[in-house]
Amino acid sequence: MQISLNWLSDYIDLSALTPDAISDMLTMVGLEVDSMETVGPTLDGVVVGHVLERTQHPNADKLSLCQVDLGEGEPVQIVCGAPNVDAGQKVPVATVGTTLMLPDRKTGEPVPVTLKKAKLRGEVSNGMICAEDELGLGDDHDGIMVLDADAPIGQTMEDYLRGQGRTLNDTVYDIAITPNRPDAVSHIGVARDLAALTEQSVRRPDVNLPEAGGAAAERVTVKLVSPEACPRYVALLVRGVTIQESPDWLKDRLTAIGLRPINNVVDVTNYVMYECGQPLHAFDADQIAGDTIIVEQTTAPETFVTLDSQERTLPVGTLMICDAERRVAVAGVMGGENSEVTDVTTNVLIESAYFDPSLIRKTAKALGLQTDASYRFERGIDRDGQVWAAARAADLIAELGGGMRVDGMVDAHPVLPKPLVLTLRLSRIETILGVAISHADTVRLLTAIGFGVEDAAPGTLSVTVPLFRPDVEREIDLIEEVARLYGYDNIPEPKRTPVPNKPPQIAAIEVLRPMVRTRLAGLGFREVCTNSMQRAETAALFAGSDLHSGESVEIVETLNPISQEMAALRPSLLPGVLQVMSYNQNRGQRQLHLMEFGHIMHRADPKRSTLVPGYNEYEALILAMSGTAPGRWNQEARALDVYDVKGAVEWLLELLRIEGRIRFEATPTPGEVTSYRLDLRVKKRHVGVVACVADAVADTFALRDPVYFAELDWAALVELAAPQFDRDAETVSRFPSVERDLAVAVNRDQPVGPMLDVIRQFGRPLIQDVAVFDVYQGERIASDQKSVAFALRFGADRTLKDKEVDKRIRTIVQRLGKEFGATLRG
Amino acid sequence: MDDAVLDTAEAIESFRIQYLGRKSGAITNLFKQIKDIAADERKAFGQRVNALRSLAEARIADAEANMTSAARQEATDLDLTLPGRRPVSGSLHPLTDTLEEIKRIFAHFGFSVAEGPEIEDDWHNFSALNFPPDHPARDMQDTFFVEAPTEESDGVVLRTHTSPVQIRVMEEQAPPIRVIVPGRVFRNEAISYKSFCLFHQVEGLYVDEGVTFADLKQLLHIFAQALFGADVQMRFRPSFFPFTEPSAEVDIWWPNPELPGGGRWLEILGCGMVDPNVLEGVNIDSEKYTGYAFGMGVERITMLRYDIADIRSFYENDVRFLNQF
Repeated sequence: MQISLNWLSDYIDLSALTPDAISDMLTMVGLEVDSMETVGPTLDGVVVGHVLERTQHPNADKLSLCQVDLGEGEPVQIVCGAPNVDAGQKVPVATVGTTLMLPDRKTGEPVPVTLKKAKLRGEVSNGMICAEDELGLGDDHDGIMVLDADAPIGQTMEDYLRGQGRTLNDTVYDIAITPNRPDAVSHIGVARDLAALTEQSVRRPDVNLPEAGGAAAERVTVKLVSPEACPRYVALLVRGVTIQESPDWLKDRLTAIGLRPINNVVDVTNYVMYECGQPLHAFDADQIAGDTIIVEQTTAPETFVTLDSQERTLPVGTLMICDAERRVAVAGVMGGENSEVTDVTTNVLIESAYFDPSLIRKTAKALGLQTDASYRFERGIDRDGQVWAAARAADLIAELGGGMRVDGMVDAHPVLPKPLVLTLRLSRIETILGVAISHADTVRLLTAIGFGVEDAAPGTLSVTVPLFRPDVEREIDLIEEVARLYGYDNIPEPKRTPVPNKPPQIAAIEVLRPMVRTRLAGLGFREVCTNSMQRAETAALFAGSDLHSGESVEIVETLNPISQEMAALRPSLLPGVLQVMSYNQNRGQRQLHLMEFGHIMHRADPKRSTLVPGYNEYEALILAMSGTAPGRWNQEARALDVYDVKGAVEWLLELLRIEGRIRFEATPTPGEVTSYRLDLRVKKRHVGVVACVADAVADTFALRDPVYFAELDWAALVELAAPQFDRDAETVSRFPSVERDLAVAVNRDQPVGPMLDVIRQFGRPLIQDVAVFDVYQGERIASDQKSVAFALRFGADRTLKDKEVDKRIRTIVQRLGKEFGATLRG
Repeated sequence: MDDAVLDTAEAIESFRIQYLGRKSGAITNLFKQIKDIAADERKAFGQRVNALRSLAEARIADAEANMTSAARQEATDLDLTLPGRRPVSGSLHPLTDTLEEIKRIFAHFGFSVAEGPEIEDDWHNFSALNFPPDHPARDMQDTFFVEAPTEESDGVVLRTHTSPVQIRVMEEQAPPIRVIVPGRVFRNEAISYKSFCLFHQVEGLYVDEGVTFADLKQLLHIFAQALFGADVQMRFRPSFFPFTEPSAEVDIWWPNPELPGGGRWLEILGCGMVDPNVLEGVNIDSEKYTGYAFGMGVERITMLRYDIADIRSFYENDVRFLNQF
């Protein structure tokens, strides 16, 4: 909200403070100044001149030569192009050396121009006679500004304008109003806080408050159909108004805070709203059929044309202002076109009402229309501010429009709620804030902002909450008021920190994630952080069965996406990472080892026990690789393949001490997004997939190189791994192990994995480790065969005899022969 | 024997053969003669021959040792200026870097870490945090909705802050509670250099007997000093969050000689005393217990730490950018 310093100064004396100091004060009392701007024209060098003589420019039809008296020295010649310039006029003259903001010839944007003594078509010009807009005083550019005939020659323009009652230079604060400060959405509201801090009281303008009844009430009838939605409706009448432009002082006020002046009636309603926070509406009283106002809620959807000429569909329950025949305004939001004040309006009905905050908020939301009025109503305006505001506006309209305020008023349903009385314990202030604030200070601070304070039981105060503070409902709200006026910066920090006598609980995931992440980075993986939101089509593709344990999942979409590009939540980290790969490949980066930890989500059966029923969300870890294993000066580069990423996963499982628990299940056939894959399972539970990205998907992402990846259920892995880190250490055997190599020939289609399983199984209990060190196909072996060479290590807690190792080897060879047709190679 | 020059492997080998050769070595031959020596002289002869053999063996050992150390002193023919076989380097994301730093600082003060879901129900995200339905406070955070409210449920949203985890923790645990909650949050805001549709927060919560606003000020002051240096200037100004009261926003002074005042105040976090309504909502006696809560944006702090101008760089993931961290 824009707040003008000149305007504030109508209510309190701020002359002792700089605009910066006021800005700091506002911010530190809870009215945060987002920005501060000095507005108004710079009139340095502009003086009142007297046109002594005007003659035609000899070389230009449209220019005049003026001899102008500037109050000192000889009159000067000024060339002027305005049609209305004439001898005898008092005019504003920008003297040589003055800098004006003038519109750029090309762009029309104002740019600073410093006037020089110049020749125009051969004639000397010593400055410039100015139009209103050239001085930043208005929009008028039809001709030069003609000043009062008695304006003193040579007077500075600034002094002249001040004499006219205009203060143009102003400081405007843009204040961020928090929802708990409905009282501060006006100049008087802001002045109240400043007054409290500077120990003054707010000077409210004097207003003739009307009595309920009188001529106004005889003329107008107000009927409240829903008194809970509109507990008070005040109507005042002003007759015989001439609709015209507002005077300069009013236009200056509104312009300073960013409002566009419209006409004297509309401007006054806006002015009073920004003065005291009460939104007002002015109807053309002659358009109100039957001189009747009915406030009621709609019972069926209907349409209505608001005064911005928009036809709007109103939801059921919208609170409407109606006359005897039709709707005339959406209560608290915007008036109707059918009853607005126009140039021919002469009688004005001023509405000053209190509407239910929640109802107005609903309507404004449904209509997608937040107005200055709805903004205030939905926060909660002064419950008892209606009569003052209506009378203030009526007086101003009568004054500025030459009309007469009709005696009396309609005051429908004027039953005021009882002000809330709260008990405030002084000890509680210290309990919350950690500093003791004295009884006297507490009373002083609360009283200064309009609270009624009386002593109650010892150590407690009885505090009456003013009706303009609907946000204050509890003791804690009072403590906040005391704290912000006392000043947060005045609350001292204790010298020592108390920490509960209880060790912090460190979840396994908090230990393992940083450890694994750092180790993976050491392995060459680069961590990325990708958007959780993506196109629904993309999300749907990656919700396919091959990433989710053989069954596709249902994606989660948002109801109000920012754009179609971000309409759904990721069911997998893969699409985000592929995007990153594509982005970097397009920028010449081809060696990509990426990792990301992140939540992925999909819909779940609401009956399943998930944290939020209906949604399954868990933390995943993705490793993705593309490019080559880089070459060296004595080593050739090698294209990456699936074994690189599988190896990284095996390494990770070993690091987590759960390698033996995880089963790799191969699916050599293509799925939705993979060409082939390995599923990782613990018993039946799916905990991840290692795969190669399918060509079609790679094309969609415009990828230049094949991508191999592993997406793991990180939460599940941590759950498995956690107990492993509590195990006791095993003593290392003092006895030497025995190493044996074993090469067998098998059918070339025979997968090696099951052979390893057999070796581990039948090597027991002596076998400690088995590795594959060679797989060979070629001349030295039958064409349908391959040779697979294993390195085996045996050991026990004693010295092994060759005989017992030989026996194990024999059993293994026998089993390999029986199950896979393998034969021992010499 | 003493004069023989033993500076090559060949010389040593021929010395060995000459004196100790199995067939015709001079010393070997002396051993062979022992049996022919008269019995009373045999012992003395044997001792002399043995001494001779030791001498020869010692010379060989010396020569061999000299050979090895000579080899050590000789220059290698490896080209040591060739680059090493360097492992590929990975990196941690700058947000991780900052987050871990934040966690470390709070760990020193006894805070545990808790986490929660990104898809959150309206109850945890709003209602339990004292956001009344149809209250303007709900407009403070532009929300992505996942499920509209119905008769049976209040609706589901993408969490707009990590504060719902406060509720989840308090539902599970009794005071004292001392946790921080890192996590990803979502806001339906126009994307620009200074705002993105998601970002990361760290929430903090301490509920115990005797916790005060002064304690909160102190903790956050320590935090800011740890992160931004001991001379950091800080201010607490009144603000509003539905789930804390009194509430504050915290600014730090960011010096910049190019600015008129020599710098400016930058907001780094929001905080306050846990609202009694929030405590009562999770059955914690708000007369007995008080608490503070705070929340900060990881992106914002990272941007300050590393002078990063555009928040979007975090999600673009240009590896040339990431490589700096």
